Amino acid sequence: MTRRATTRRRATKAEREFVSEAEEILEAMRADVADLSDSAQGSVEPDPGLVNRLFRSAHSLKALAGMFRFAPIEDLAHRLEDLLDALRLGRLANGHGVLGLIDESAETFAALLECIGDAEVQAGFTEPIGRLVARIDAAANAPVPTPREFDSLSIDPSMLRALTEYEEHRLRENLERGRTIVQVNATFEILSFEEGLSELSTAIRENGEVLSTLPAPGDSPESQINFTILAGTDMDASALSRALDFPGASVEAIGGCALSPPADPTGEAAPSSAPQRPTEPLEDVAGSLDLSSLKSISDTVRVDIRKLDELMNLVGELVIQRGALGEQVTRLLERQETARIGGELAKIHKALDRRLRELQSAVLEVRMVPLRQVFEKISRVVRRVRRDLGKQVELEVRGADTELDKLIVEALVDPLMHVVRNAIDHALEPEDERRAAGKRAQGRLVLEAFQRGNHVVIAVRDDGRGIDQLALRQRAEQRGLVRPDDVLSERETLDLIFEPGLSTRDEVTETSGRGVGMDVVRSNVTALGGIVEVESYPGRGTSISLTVPITLAIIQSLLVGVSGRRFAIPLNAVLETLMIERSEIQRSEDRELLNLRGEPLVLRRLAREFGLAEDAPAEKPFVIVMGIGDQRAGLLVDALHGQQDTVIKSIQGPIEFVRGIAGATDLGDQDPVLVLDVSALIDDAGRRREAA
Amino acid sequence: MTRANAGNAAGAWEQLARGANQYSQDTQETGELLHLISLRLAGTTYAVRVESVREIVRMRPITPIPRVDAAVRGVISLRGEMVQVIDLRARLRLPTIDPHRTSRIVVVHLPDGRVAGLLVDEIREVLRIAADATLSPAGDAFAVDALCACGEEFVSVLSLERVLDLEGEA
Repeated sequence: MTRRATTRRRATKAEREFVSEAEEILEAMRADVADLSDSAQGSVEPDPGLVNRLFRSAHSLKALAGMFRFAPIEDLAHRLEDLLDALRLGRLANGHGVLGLIDESAETFAALLECIGDAEVQAGFTEPIGRLVARIDAAANAPVPTPREFDSLSIDPSMLRALTEYEEHRLRENLERGRTIVQVNATFEILSFEEGLSELSTAIRENGEVLSTLPAPGDSPESQINFTILAGTDMDASALSRALDFPGASVEAIGGCALSPPADPTGEAAPSSAPQRPTEPLEDVAGSLDLSSLKSISDTVRVDIRKLDELMNLVGELVIQRGALGEQVTRLLERQETARIGGELAKIHKALDRRLRELQSAVLEVRMVPLRQVFEKISRVVRRVRRDLGKQVELEVRGADTELDKLIVEALVDPLMHVVRNAIDHALEPEDERRAAGKRAQGRLVLEAFQRGNHVVIAVRDDGRGIDQLALRQRAEQRGLVRPDDVLSERETLDLIFEPGLSTRDEVTETSGRGVGMDVVRSNVTALGGIVEVESYPGRGTSISLTVPITLAIIQSLLVGVSGRRFAIPLNAVLETLMIERSEIQRSEDRELLNLRGEPLVLRRLAREFGLAEDAPAEKPFVIVMGIGDQRAGLLVDALHGQQDTVIKSIQGPIEFVRGIAGATDLGDQDPVLVLDVSALIDDAGRRREAA
Repeated sequence: MTRANAGNAAGAWEQLARGANQYSQDTQETGELLHLISLRLAGTTYAVRVESVREIVRMRPITPIPRVDAAVRGVISLRGEMVQVIDLRARLRLPTIDPHRTSRIVVVHLPDGRVAGLLVDEIREVLRIAADATLSPAGDAFAVDALCACGEEFVSVLSLERVLDLEGEA
C-alpha cells in the first residue's frame, strides 16, 4: 500500500517509448563495458566483437535520440561513437582511461534518461557533459604509435598495427608461399553486419585464407558500417572478385606474388588511389534507419509491466469465476434430478480448470526475469567504487540466472545496492587494517541468489570486520531503543542495525551516504512480503540475506477462521499446519510456546494480534507454522477453510498501511478477505518497535 | 460481476450522471456554477463536489480492518478493486447506525489518484449553485468548506481533504 509521491509531470507516451527503448540499448552497452573491462585485465587487445557491439549501441542511441530530439543524449552518443570508432580501428589502446570514459558516458546516459521531461534538471547536465565530451575528444584524437614492418605491402599502416601476432604470422606465411594478398572492402547495414560479414568471410575462405577482419573507416551513410578483410589467395584480385560475387564488396590486390593492377571488369573494385575507400553497396538505404528497424534486431517483445498486470488481473478474475462455477456444479451434482447434467458440467469444469492453470502459469512465467540485470548493475557500482575510492574489492556473483517476478526485481535494486555499498564502505576494512589482521589486502564480496521453495534468497557476504555488537548496543542505548538492563540475544542485537539512524560508523561517505539506512532496506523488503536477515562473525565478515517471494501476482493462500472472520495466509510462507489441544500451549515470560519436535515455536494468537473478541475459542485450535528465511512463528487460529488461488490487491483509501495486513482479495463469494503479511507477523524486532 | 455491480447502482447513478452531464454544459455557459451531490446524514443535508465523485454504489459486504481508526468501516470489493469505506457519521462525530435500505457508498477520488468510499444515509440530488452564492461555514467547522442556502435549508459542503485525513490527526 506504500506509494511514492511524484511531483514531476508525467512523461509523454513518446518520452516513455524513448526511455524504454534507450534503456534497453544502455543495458546492453553496460553489459559490454563490463565484459570489456574484465577482458582488459588480461590483455591489451580489446575483443573486436565487443567493441563493435558497443559501437553499434552508441550508434543506435544516437539515432534514437536524434529521432526523438534529445540533443544532449544525441551529442554525447555521437562523441562516444567517435571514441569507439577509434578504438575498433586500433587507433587507440584499450586502456583504463578509455574504459572509464565509456563507463562514465553510460552512467551519464542513465542519469539523463532519469530526468527526461524535466528540462530544469537536464539543464544542470550541460556543463558536466561538456567536460566529458572534451575528454572524449582528447582521447579519440590521441597520437598513434608508429608502424613496423611489411613495408612492401600497399596497405594502410593503421591496419597493420591492428593485426595480432598470429595474424602477422599468417600474413608472413602467405607472402612466403607466393600468394596474392588482397584487401576486400565491404559495406554492411549496421544492424545486420554480422550475417553479411560471416557470409563474405565464408565465400573468401572457399578461395583462400582470411587473415584478418578489420573494421574500416569511411564516409558511407550513417546506417552502414565498413569492414576490410585481409586475405591471401592463389587467384588474382579480379578472379577472386568474380568468384565471390558479393554485392557491395570490392577486391583489391595489395601485395604478394602478383601485384597486378585492379582489373575487375565489372568496375566494382575501388580505385587504387584510395585503397581504404569501400564502394557503396548496391542498394542504398541511407536514412532508412527508423524505429522499426531498431526493433527488428531481436525476436523479443517488450511489454509494459502494467499490461502484464492487467492480464494477470483478468486471469485472476477468471480464476474467481471458475470457483463460482465449481460451486454451482457441486449443487447440481447434489440434486438427483440434475445430477446427470451436473456430471457433464463437472467434466467441462475440470478441463477448464486445467487450461486455466496452464494459462496462469504461462502468464506468471512472462513476468519472470533473471536477476542478472540487477547483478550487473551492482557489478558496475563495485567497479566504480573500485575506481573512485581505490579500494580493492573482488566481487563474485553466483546464481544470476535465478528468476523472479519483474516487479520484485525492480523493487530489489535499491535495497540491494544499499547493502552492497554499505559492505564496501563500512564492512570491508582499509588495506593496511586487513593486512594487519592477516587477511588478503583485497576485500571480497559475494553476491549470491538461489531459490528456496517459493522464495528467492539473495545474500550479500563480505569478508570484512563484522559487526561490532558492543558498539551497536551502546548506540541503541544512547538513543533509548534499548534499556541498559534489557537482555538481548545475539540475533536481537544484530537486528538493531535495522533501526532508523543506527549505523555503527559516524562518517558519511559518498558511496553509502546518509539518510537511507538499513531500516529502509528492511521496510522495502518487508513491503514485498520478504524478510532481511543478518549474520555476523567478528573479524571474519557479515552476511545479509534478503528473502522474497518469487511472485506477488497470483498466489495460493490458506484460508483460516478466527473469531468468526476469514483471513488468507500466502501459502508460500506456510510450512505446515497442526491441530493441537489447548493444554499443549506452554508459556515463557509473556510468550506462548509450542514444543514442535523438540524446538520451541513462538505462538501468536491472530485474534489478539488484531484485537478480535476471543469469546468462543476453538477447543482444538490450529497452529499455522509460518516461515520466511530462517525465521519461524506459529499462528493460532480457530478453523481452516482450505486453499484458494488469490490475487492480492492493495487496499485503497486514506489509511496507507496496516501492520500485519498485506492487502485484500476477492474470492468471488461474499465479502473481501484480508491477506496477512506474514513477514510482519513473524518479525520480532518490528513488534518491539511498535510496542515502544 | 462487473455488470451486476453496475446494475445495482444504476438507479441513483443514472440520475446523477445526467446531472453531471449538465454540469459541463453549464460551466461552458457561465463558468460560475458549483455542482454538488447532496446527501443526508443524521437528518442534515451535506454535499460533495461532483468532480470528486467517481461513482455511487449500494451497500455490499464490508470486511472490517483490524487496528485502524474506528471511522474506517472496512474494505469493499469494487469489481476486484479493494476500497476502504469511511463511515461519514463516525467521521463527523455523529452517532453511528447500521447500514439500511437507503444507505449508499459514495466513491470519491483521493488527491493521489486512488479512491475511497464514504458511507452515507441517503443520496439526494445534484445541486447547481452559483459559486459566489456560497457562504463561509459558521464558527470553527471541522470538515465543512462552505455553506450554501437551498431554499430555507443550509447545505454543508464537505472538505474531502479534511474528511479523509485520518492519518494526519492520529
